[in-house]
Amino acid sequence: MRLKSLELVKGGGNILKEADSRIPATLRLLHAERSDEIFPILMEEIVKLGYPRAFVLSVNFETGEVSPIAGIKCSDSYLQKFRTSLYADHPIVSIFHGLKPSILPRSSSTGRALYCHPIIYRNPNQCWEAERQRRPECMATDNFRNARKLSLEGQQCKTCEMRSYAAAIVVEFPKKASERAVGELGTLIELANKYLARLFKIEHYYNRMRDMEDTISQMNAVMMSMADPVVLTDMHFRVVMQNQAAAKFFKLPDETTEGLIRAIELNNMLFSAALSSMAISGTETHRDLTLVDPNEGEELLFEAVCVPSFTREGLPSGLVTVMRDVTDLRRADQELQANYEKLRAAEDVVRQDRDRLNLIIENVGDPIIVCDSDGKVVLVDPLAEALFGSDTDRDPTRVTNQAVLDAYVSNFTYSFSDTVTQALNFTDPSTLQVTEFDARSGKIYDERGQVAYTVTVLRDWSPIRKLEQLKVERRMLEIEKFASAGRLAATIAHEVNNPMEAIKNAIYLLAGKVKPEAEPVYGILKSETERVARIVRQMLGLYRNQESVKPVNVNTLAEDTLLLLARQLQRSNVEVVQEFAELPPAVVSSDQMRQVFSNIVINAKDSMPNGGRLKIRTRQIRSSDGLHGWIRVLIADTGSGIPKDILDSVFEPFVTTKGEKGTGLGLWIVKGIIGNHGGKISVRSKVGFGTVFKIDLPMVRL
Amino acid sequence: MSTGSKKSPSKARVLVVDDESSVLFTYKLILEQQGYAVTAAISSEEAKRAIEAQEFDLVLCDYSLEQQHTGFEVIAAARARRPDVPSLLLTGYATIETTEQAKSDGIGVLFKPIDIAEFLSTTSAFLRNEHESQKVNKDE
Repeated sequence: MRLKSLELVKGGGNILKEADSRIPATLRLLHAERSDEIFPILMEEIVKLGYPRAFVLSVNFETGEVSPIAGIKCSDSYLQKFRTSLYADHPIVSIFHGLKPSILPRSSSTGRALYCHPIIYRNPNQCWEAERQRRPECMATDNFRNARKLSLEGQQCKTCEMRSYAAAIVVEFPKKASERAVGELGTLIELANKYLARLFKIEHYYNRMRDMEDTISQMNAVMMSMADPVVLTDMHFRVVMQNQAAAKFFKLPDETTEGLIRAIELNNMLFSAALSSMAISGTETHRDLTLVDPNEGEELLFEAVCVPSFTREGLPSGLVTVMRDVTDLRRADQELQANYEKLRAAEDVVRQDRDRLNLIIENVGDPIIVCDSDGKVVLVDPLAEALFGSDTDRDPTRVTNQAVLDAYVSNFTYSFSDTVTQALNFTDPSTLQVTEFDARSGKIYDERGQVAYTVTVLRDWSPIRKLEQLKVERRMLEIEKFASAGRLAATIAHEVNNPMEAIKNAIYLLAGKVKPEAEPVYGILKSETERVARIVRQMLGLYRNQESVKPVNVNTLAEDTLLLLARQLQRSNVEVVQEFAELPPAVVSSDQMRQVFSNIVINAKDSMPNGGRLKIRTRQIRSSDGLHGWIRVLIADTGSGIPKDILDSVFEPFVTTKGEKGTGLGLWIVKGIIGNHGGKISVRSKVGFGTVFKIDLPMVRL
Repeated sequence: MSTGSKKSPSKARVLVVDDESSVLFTYKLILEQQGYAVTAAISSEEAKRAIEAQEFDLVLCDYSLEQQHTGFEVIAAARARRPDVPSLLLTGYATIETTEQAKSDGIGVLFKPIDIAEFLSTTSAFLRNEHESQKVNKDE
């Protein structure tokens, strides 16, 4: 309630003209347009009735203050005497509480007796709000029935929120005042209050409307400024209001294209469909909604939050839908999810690889040490751990082993080679036995080409070496056995040789001196003696010098043999071709190998009575482990070849293609010697084309 | 056992040495069949004495003789008297070393059991060479 200050009244008021004073009070009050005008008119009319002066005291319901707001013919200092509070002990205050006109007796402060008429907002009719809502509770009617207290809380309408006014019209009484005059005054004041209440009510609702308009425009500004599309729809899903962000999707612009129309139509359809599904719940609902960007044409994903709106009476009035563009968010989310999945998969692979690697490392059966670029051990398998222990290990053997390893690893790490192989001696901490390990190391580089890790695998060759040694020893024993058997044979042959030489000479000397009837017998004697001579010759060949088995070059042995037989071969017109590869030494009996070559070469020569070509080829066949390997010797001739029916049995004793001239022992001896050396021999032959012998001798790294 | 033979200027003088008497005897007979003047010696001692006694045109000698003696000793002795005397080693023990040594010393080698045809051709060839070389020497 806006009550004008006293000055307005003092100046006579803009609407109060002298001419108006003849107009009856009721009409003047009726002409009042605003509540402000009521009190000045009332004051004037009271003075017109003959009272010397009057003023209005108003109650401020927010502070409880009681202060003069209008007066006529009253000085400021006089009026200030009536300034008080609802809570103060003032005669006027009790009149407010009583809400009944009464006369304040004379007093020193107030001078003459004062007629005091309290007024309050009251109406026999309910406020419009209560009327519309059919609520029984209304301050206007309550005050009319004096049902309300004159308190701060009491004087506000619970329905329309109107705050009441309370004032007291105070009129100074003349010495004599008739009862009739007092009644007339009371009626005038009540009439004025009636007009005041009416204007007050209109002004309240007007102010309320203005406030609401302000609020609406504020809300509108908020809505319009929102970047997210916001749409208000009524109960029939008709758009009541939408912000610019929403209009972009749902409202056809002035200038439009066919594509734009289609997009907007589609959006409206999508939105209606979404709305109808969301409206069912009647509460706040979330939903994903796809809309088409009418300008860009791309699909955008929105998260729509739909909240039903209600009237004051609690009846649903429509829906407020706020849409948030989550396209990027979802895309990011999906990408994040996809990346996470990828990461998970990669992690799985890495884990599997690591597990597999660990499994390999644990099962290699050789000590493995992985060091970083500083030569610091980062990973060891259980075998390496047994050998080297941990950093804090104080076991002297392990400390020594660590020192040897550290020196080796740091040497390798700073070297320029990518891999290295070196023999290292480590002591077994449990048996204190020194073992030579074959250390093999490699480097792992990082993406900048710097050494990231070195991997060292230690191989204990000793069991294999021992086995190889044993094999060689056994072979040597076999060779020795063969040699001693050969020696025995040779000794016997030699013993037989001399008498046989004499017999043979004697037979020669007897030629032509035997009787004719003894000739067949003489013939047998001669041929059989020659046969014995051949066998003896062969057996003598088994024994030369007592040579030890030692590593020799097989090429040299083959060369020796060819040299020894060079004359014979030349005489038989045999061309010799040598193709010798560089060979590592082989552990063989030189004598026996010469015997082998000699036997085969002589056979070859014998198979080429009209000349031909003899080819001896040697080569080295390496094995993958580098430990084993073979020395291969191929001896090929272009001779008569070996018939198929005896090819399979050429290595058996007394099998010969030379008839009476052969002993059938040559290849049998060859096979025996090669077998004793742990080697293999095979033959291929084609009658009329030639024969090839293939000898493989084991190569042993000692 | 020593078998002397009358010196004939037309006959080639051959010394044959072997510690086996039967072998020695048969060699001697075979060589004599060829018309050579053959002196047979059963030991290195006997052979050396024969060499002291006369000059030979060919020496045929077993490699292994009595005890540790070898044919090389006899040939060395023969060459001491006549440096260019053709010599043949007859052996049952044909080691590379022996063969190599014989070759380097210009001594021929025949391996027992010896094929008689080869024996005869080799001895005659050695004697021919001897004659040829002598002729060459005379021409000079």
